[in-house]
Amino acid sequence: MRFSRWTGLRAAARVGLEFMDLVMLTGLLAAGVRLAMAIGFAALGETVSQRSGVINVGIEGIMLLGAFLAALGAVWTGTPWGGVLFAIAGGVALGAIHAFFTITLKADQIVSGTALVILGLGVSSFLNRLTLGRTAASVPAFDPVDFGPLTDLPLVGRMLFGQNILVYVGVVLALALAWGFRRTVVGLEIRACGENPGAADAAGVPVNAHRFACVLFGSALAGLGGAYLAIAQISAFVENMVVGRGFIAIACVVFGRWRPLGVLGAALGFGLAEASQIRLQTWYPNVPYQFFTMLPYLVAIIALVFLARGAALPKALGRPFVSTHG
Amino acid sequence: MKISTPFAYAGIAFGALFVPSVFILMAGKDPLTIWWVLIHYTLGTSSGFAEVVVHAIPLTLLGLGVAVAFRAGIFNIGGDGQLICGAVLAVAMAKILAPLGVAGAPLFLVMGFIGGGIAGAVVGWLRARFDANEIIVTIMFNYVAVQLLTWVNRGPLQEASRIFPRSYAIAQSLQLPIIVDDSRVHAGLLVALAAALAVYVLMSRTSFGFRLTVLGESPEAASYAGFNRTAALVSAMFLSGGLAGLAGAIEISAVHHRLEDGFAEGFGLAAIAVGLMARLNGLAVPLAAMLFGVFYLGAGALQRQAGVPFPIVWIIEGVVILAFLALDRAARGSASRA
Repeated sequence: MRFSRWTGLRAAARVGLEFMDLVMLTGLLAAGVRLAMAIGFAALGETVSQRSGVINVGIEGIMLLGAFLAALGAVWTGTPWGGVLFAIAGGVALGAIHAFFTITLKADQIVSGTALVILGLGVSSFLNRLTLGRTAASVPAFDPVDFGPLTDLPLVGRMLFGQNILVYVGVVLALALAWGFRRTVVGLEIRACGENPGAADAAGVPVNAHRFACVLFGSALAGLGGAYLAIAQISAFVENMVVGRGFIAIACVVFGRWRPLGVLGAALGFGLAEASQIRLQTWYPNVPYQFFTMLPYLVAIIALVFLARGAALPKALGRPFVSTHG
Repeated sequence: MKISTPFAYAGIAFGALFVPSVFILMAGKDPLTIWWVLIHYTLGTSSGFAEVVVHAIPLTLLGLGVAVAFRAGIFNIGGDGQLICGAVLAVAMAKILAPLGVAGAPLFLVMGFIGGGIAGAVVGWLRARFDANEIIVTIMFNYVAVQLLTWVNRGPLQEASRIFPRSYAIAQSLQLPIIVDDSRVHAGLLVALAAALAVYVLMSRTSFGFRLTVLGESPEAASYAGFNRTAALVSAMFLSGGLAGLAGAIEISAVHHRLEDGFAEGFGLAAIAVGLMARLNGLAVPLAAMLFGVFYLGAGALQRQAGVPFPIVWIIEGVVILAFLALDRAARGSASRA
């Protein structure tokens, strides 16, 4: 008698939980993907840059400039696509500084990247106070793509079919990069620049030109990642709104072992961590919210500790290359 | 094309002034006037100069921390977080230290050193044991530390009335004295100068410093010589973080007297530039810190008096780091040609 009552209660509880879980999980997965892509774009860009042998720790600053320019461009042109263009241009501009210092001048890559972090913070905040910060202009942003009834699919509907266009751009980009690194000559050459630039040079690969292009491309994507924050994730620019995502993106490159799809997967993990911590804050109002806000950063540290060992990092990463036959 | 070194130096100096000037122009101001106001306000008056010194105190300690870690080949950009950890530990111990009389204030600073040192040592250990990239780890710790600070200001260390998000004030006995009349220049200045001297001696005159330098310059040689890499990395980062924590405790003891959200925000970033500029010589750290004190104080004055947004200071900092890189390159270039 006692036994059956308990079983009944537990069964009822389980049904209730499962129902809640489904609704909750659907929202969590959708939010996780949505919150992942800013990091995703930046991490994919960093992957390209690092594969060619140049580490760029400045993507935090590039993302900030990208976020600001995206908001500004969207307001000025009236469309979020205008913002995308502005952000990419800004990313390329900061990337050119990094490329010039690290490849042309052969300066320390970490120091140059750190300068970009500070420059990006300064330029984006400074210009914001001269422009957007003085008005209350609303920023045009990307809406979710309309897939009709597919969005209502249980569990995965909103995750797969309820996102804005940039999310799909990001996924296609990751697939294209994965294919490009494996199957194209340029992809092979870029990998060679990062693994063994001497041999690549001997085989006639223009190592420094490739690296320059990869840094610009990677910085453009970091700018796009910043743009995502300001015109897709929310529709506003807030000073210092990137709050460490640029560095988390660098960690994602390590977790993804320098493979585009793995890197995107790592970014999705952080998107889920972010989506979870926001929900945990409301579920556990008695726990100080700061402990939940800390979570994604702690996850990054812990993941780095467990996944960094024996990492397949490009062998010539961080080293300038001097051609022997000029 | 070869450019002779004096021209390279002149070009770099021009660039370092030119780029921020463009932004000043965008703000609709005359760059020459603004640069003059900045210099005059900070260095042209004794009150301004005293405030530059006040700003240079934490920047010196944080910059020394960056420089020490650099020697061991570690890029510690976690100064902000380690500063917070030091300040939080010191304030948490304040009620125990308050009745200890003259020993109170020094112990308060020691607590700051320990708090920041532990935060740094963890990073050193993770790097040595797991090869965890210290740049990412220290930055992540910065964000964790900011959350820790906002929590203690609303939780365990909050003032008794629980109205404002800030900690209780520390006792008078824990506060460092003002050493220059009619200014805020405090005894932390002596601590910072002593630390600069101590770090200089430690790095250039002791076997500990020699080991760190070898480890930083050539990890292979260090391992061939049988140096304990883990011990060296952990102790270098304990020292580096400790100096940052000491800066935090001094800021609380001498300037703020309690914890508040963002009480020393942005010092860590500036300290990277300070540490880089002074990489060649530890004794140069206080001078570099003075320069950035000028920028910080000047930028605040420009925002208030001339309407140039405060973030100009970060633009200047970024440009100064790049200029330093270019100078370094120009110096190396001339050395290799000679």
